[in-house]
Amino acid sequence: MPTDPGDRLQRDLSVGTAWLVVLATIARADEPIHGYEIARQLAEQAPEGLSFKQGTLYPMLRSMESDGLVRSTLVPSNEGPARKCFTLTAEGRRVLAAWCETWRTTSKWVNRTLGGIDGIR
Amino acid sequence: MASAEPPVIPGPIRAYLLQLELELERADPALRHDALLDAEGHLRAAVRAGVDAERAIAEYGRPAEIATAYLAAEGASAASGRPVSASAWRGEPGTALADTGSGSHRSSVPGGVEAAPAVPAPWRVRDIPVLGIWADARAWGALVYFGAVGFALSIAYFVWAIVIGSLSIGLATVIVGVPLFIFLLGSARALCLFEGKVVEVFLGVRMPRRVQPVEGADTVGFWQRIWCWLKDVRSWLSLGYLLGNFPVAVVLFAVTVTVAAASAVLIGVPLLEVLGIHALHLDLDDADDVTVSYLGRELTPDADGVVRLPPSLIVLSFAVGVAVATAGLWLMRGLGWVYGNVVQAIQVARPRATVPPRG
Repeated sequence: MPTDPGDRLQRDLSVGTAWLVVLATIARADEPIHGYEIARQLAEQAPEGLSFKQGTLYPMLRSMESDGLVRSTLVPSNEGPARKCFTLTAEGRRVLAAWCETWRTTSKWVNRTLGGIDGIR
Repeated sequence: MASAEPPVIPGPIRAYLLQLELELERADPALRHDALLDAEGHLRAAVRAGVDAERAIAEYGRPAEIATAYLAAEGASAASGRPVSASAWRGEPGTALADTGSGSHRSSVPGGVEAAPAVPAPWRVRDIPVLGIWADARAWGALVYFGAVGFALSIAYFVWAIVIGSLSIGLATVIVGVPLFIFLLGSARALCLFEGKVVEVFLGVRMPRRVQPVEGADTVGFWQRIWCWLKDVRSWLSLGYLLGNFPVAVVLFAVTVTVAAASAVLIGVPLLEVLGIHALHLDLDDADDVTVSYLGRELTPDADGVVRLPPSLIVLSFAVGVAVATAGLWLMRGLGWVYGNVVQAIQVARPRATVPPRG
C-alpha cells in the first residue's frame, strides 16, 4: 500500500531514533531498569503530539540483548513476579556514544540547512 | 501480610492477552509465549502503578501492531507464514518509536535505516532437493545431540530425579521429605530450562526468552507458595520429562549410532579400497572356505584373508552409503524437530487466557 510522502520524514526518524532513545534511557538510569519504567520515562519525555506503542519496546530490548548492547537480570519485586531489568553493556555504551556523536553532527547539519526557511508554504 | 489468593488479572487485560494470542496463533509458540508474558507483565505493572487498565492497553498498542512488531523483530514471518505488515517498520504520524527490528544500530547514522523491500533469499546449498540436508546445520546438530550430548544429559537427569525422588519418598515420614520433594520439582524446572537452551543450540528449535513465573507464588505466604508450585502443570511436566526422557534418549541414541555406523562403513570401506587400503580383512588360518557377504554379494578372501571389493561393488557401496547417510540426516532432522517441539511445549505450557463473563 503506498504511503503518504508527507509521512516519510516521521517514518524514517521513528525507525532511526527508537534504538537511540531507548539506549539513552537505560544509560541514564542509576540502576537496572525494567521495561515498564523505560516505557514510562519515554512517554513522559515525548513531546506533544508524539507517542509510541509501548508494546514495541520489548522485542526491541530483546534484539538489543541478542546484539550484546544490553544485559538483563531478574530482579525480585515486592509487588509481583521478578522483573527483567536492563543495563548497558560496554559495547552498548560504545555504540551509544558513537550514535550520540552522529546525532549531534546530523542535527547540527540539518538545523544549519533549515535556517531561514520557516516561512515556506 | 501477604494475601492468600493470587492477584486476578483484570478483565480487559485478560481479553487483550487473548486477542494478542490469537494474533500470534500461527507464530512460533515460544515467540507467542514471550509476547504474552511481556504484555502481561507490562500491563500488570501499569495497573499496579495506578494506570487504568483500558488506558494501559491503549498505550501498549493494538494486538495486531504488537504481534507484527514481534514477528518483525525476530524475523519470524517466514517461519510462521505470516506477512510482516509495513506498519511494524513505519512510524505512523504521531508515532515516535515504531522500529523493533534487530540490527538497526548497525547503521552508524540514526535515522538512516529503512525497511528494505522484500528481496528473494540468496541461494544456499541446503536448498538443493534431498541432498541439501548435508549442509543443514540442524540435521548435524541433531546427530550430535542424539548421539552424544542428549544421551549423556538424559542419564544425568534420570539419575538425579531417581535419587532425589527416592530420598524424598523415603524421608516422607519425617518432615524433611516434603521440602526435598519441592526441591526436586524446582530442580526439575531448572534442569528443563537448561535442557531447553541445549536443545535450542543443537536442534534449532526456539525456546522462550522469558521464564514464566509460577502463577501467584510471588504474592502469597510460604505454604501457599508450595501449593502454587504443586499446582503448576509445568512442575510436573518437567519432572515427567526428566524421568520419561531417559528411555526415549536410549532409543534415539541406538537409532543414531546405528545409522551413523552403517553410513560410515558403507562410505568408508569403498573409499579406503580406492586408496588401496583394504578395510575388510579376515584373520583366519584357513580362509579358503570362507565367504563374506557384502551388500548381497558373496566375496571370497584371498590367501592373506584380505577381501577385495570389485569396482561395481565399490560404486554400489558408496552410493548406498550416501543414500543411507542422507536418509539418516533427514531422519535426524525430523526427530530433532519433533523432540525440540516437545521440549518447547513443556516450556511454554500455560493456561490459555480466557475472557471472564461480563457483568
